[in-house]
Amino acid sequence: MATLWSKISAVLPLNEEQFPLQFSDKVESSVVEMLKRCRQQLYCDATSTSRMLNAQIILDFSWEKLNTGTWRHVDKEWRRVYSYGCLFKVAALCREDPSADQLLQAVRTCDMGLLMGAAIMENILQVMVRILHGEVKSAEEQDESEHPEVKKIKIECPRVFVIKEDSAVPRMKCPSLECFNTNYLLPLKPVILEGIIDHWPALNEHPWSIEYLRSVAGCRTVPVEVGSRYTDEEWSQTLLTVNEFIDRYILNKEEEKGVGYLAQHQLFDQIPELKEDIRPPDYCCLGEGEEDDMTVNAWFGPGGTVSPLHQDPQQNFLAQVVGSKYIRLYSPDDTDKLYPHQSQLLHNTSQVEVENPDTERFPEFAKAPYLECVLQPGEVLFIPVRHWHYVRSLELSFSVSFWWS
Amino acid sequence: MRWFAFGFNAFGQIYVHEKLIKGECSDAVNEIKVSSPTELAGRADCCLNTDSQIRASWSRRASLHLDGGSRVCLAGFGAVLSSESCSSCMKESRGCKDAFISESYLTLAFPDRIESWDLQKEEETPSWSMEIKKESHGPPLNLPLVPGGYIATKAPFYRSLSPHLKAKSLALSAEHAILLSASGAVYTWGLGSHGQLGHGDLTSEEEPRAVEALLGMPMSCVATGSWHSVCISDGGDLYVWGWNETGQLGLPSRGLRKALQEQCSQQAGTGAPCQDGSTSPPEEPQEGEKLDEVFISIQAFPALLDITPSCEIRTVSCGSRHTAAVTTTGDLYTWGWGDYGQLGHQTLISSDEPQRVEFFRERQMCVFDVVCGPWNTFAAVVKEEVA
Repeated sequence: MATLWSKISAVLPLNEEQFPLQFSDKVESSVVEMLKRCRQQLYCDATSTSRMLNAQIILDFSWEKLNTGTWRHVDKEWRRVYSYGCLFKVAALCREDPSADQLLQAVRTCDMGLLMGAAIMENILQVMVRILHGEVKSAEEQDESEHPEVKKIKIECPRVFVIKEDSAVPRMKCPSLECFNTNYLLPLKPVILEGIIDHWPALNEHPWSIEYLRSVAGCRTVPVEVGSRYTDEEWSQTLLTVNEFIDRYILNKEEEKGVGYLAQHQLFDQIPELKEDIRPPDYCCLGEGEEDDMTVNAWFGPGGTVSPLHQDPQQNFLAQVVGSKYIRLYSPDDTDKLYPHQSQLLHNTSQVEVENPDTERFPEFAKAPYLECVLQPGEVLFIPVRHWHYVRSLELSFSVSFWWS
Repeated sequence: MRWFAFGFNAFGQIYVHEKLIKGECSDAVNEIKVSSPTELAGRADCCLNTDSQIRASWSRRASLHLDGGSRVCLAGFGAVLSSESCSSCMKESRGCKDAFISESYLTLAFPDRIESWDLQKEEETPSWSMEIKKESHGPPLNLPLVPGGYIATKAPFYRSLSPHLKAKSLALSAEHAILLSASGAVYTWGLGSHGQLGHGDLTSEEEPRAVEALLGMPMSCVATGSWHSVCISDGGDLYVWGWNETGQLGLPSRGLRKALQEQCSQQAGTGAPCQDGSTSPPEEPQEGEKLDEVFISIQAFPALLDITPSCEIRTVSCGSRHTAAVTTTGDLYTWGWGDYGQLGHQTLISSDEPQRVEFFRERQMCVFDVVCGPWNTFAAVVKEEVA
């Protein structure tokens, strides 16, 4: 069997001359010199300590640049430099028969580059992480043959939720494009579409389950929100592997305080295997935006995650794959009854706790009409642009949202 | 007077090792991370003498010599290397009175003009210059201050300051500035995302704004790191504010404790396993960590930092993520990020508590000045008279 390093070096340029290091003059020549030292060490003898050190210098320097000023003003060149740092660190880790721990560190390093860096060398970090993931999995399979027991997850039954008929979101089974356009998209009315994602591999060949996610993405690092809702003081974001997230917040192995939610993350760009399991709804073609402008987010968490009442600037198809969610919708026409936060950062979020409103502070809220539903696996909710929505998971849940225009 | 340095040395800005001269990369970690104070060597033409001052950027060190033929010598990235000399003197700097260095530019102050030299290019002339009129009144200004304003680290270089501020000294980071007025008031402006302006919130300020919490307490010295700010009062008290991510404020940092814990577990070979689905250790209080300890991530108001109860602080300087202060009794204290040896404790460990650099005390050396580069530290010492 080929060694890991031979697989990794096969995707690297053949020699130093063919390894590109082109930057704008934003990147000082001293930094480029440091990058060149790393590149040189890739193709000649060096100790692994020295390789790691030089890669770390690149990572430390570009980390400071990524944290200087606001994120959207950070020059893309520094995100590229950061990705190079990740590349060199991965190479250093994989050079000499890495331990299981070093292998996982290499996967994490690729993910950090994918999350914070910018694509370099035809997205080489994505190529490398696939190789590394294959390596981790084959090690796991050896492990499993020794311990053949498969852990089964018992999912608690959610209590039955009664939705009043007059406030229920209307439902349609596979409407035609024309019908959806005329009755829902143009008048901006919410609707639940049934039967339109039944063909997804996520609901057929690869039914999404905790085991499946572990096998496709277990060792991958993802951003996780910790805290009941993002408007809370105690709310924070952290980086965990999918396995750590499942153990801590889904299976509750450690009696973690607080709720963990893998929310609003572009997981499908990070892990293309999972992207194969889903399909953008055909109805998105009714929009004027390019397909590239569509943002696909993953929402994976235990029962009890709450997205406070808020609005988004794009149309949204919320597809439910695993578990069920309670959702409440308010029209943008009733914004004046919803008490949005004053601050710039949270002005698209209501101050009201939808299921436990403070009627003294927010007297108008009770007067606002709303629609509600419990979204079940295989159903897709159309949330028109700027429609206020509140979402609470009733059990272990995985949803996919498509933002489009 | 002698200068000692410790911290980041990948470009030979502290001392030049053999491999660097031969154009090879160093393999030895201790040549790139100098964790023990090392004396800056000098040769006849650029030796560091009684009147030398140090300025440092990430990859370079500038030594400013103010004796006789005043001049600037550069060491580190791009300097001509040989085993004989540690740094190369810049002939165009003859006669300069002050210098300021960033990763891209070297700014020189002459009695009649200011020049900024682009360090990325080998040019015969400065990339920018301006004439200045001799100050007829008031004490001489130090860079980056110039009459009527200051020199920024990127274009446009000259920025004016309101004369009402009566600027006495100024410290600049990439995104914020801290100014000391003649009356001892402190003004800050620029990016406020990490509390580095000290106004109690995280908003940015376009114009200099007085730090109200310090009003009525005259200050004598200001300094800034990449995301933190510090100042010393007339009475020798140290005030700190901004981001405490690696303990650069000298206050308990949760991020730092967590990172140290991860390093420990990695070294012990028990890093969080993942493939077998087992769990990493729960976040229990660390050894030596009090249960009720209050961690500070962002300090948005100035906080008094007690380094040593009985001593006053003489001077202070900040690296990108560390801080160094000198007491009136001649001790050097450092805290914050230590990965490159920039704390001088002969380790590579970060610290969120000010710790004395014992090296100087052990050798009866008295520290009287300190200057930090982004990832390293330079200390000026004299040998203590033995009574």
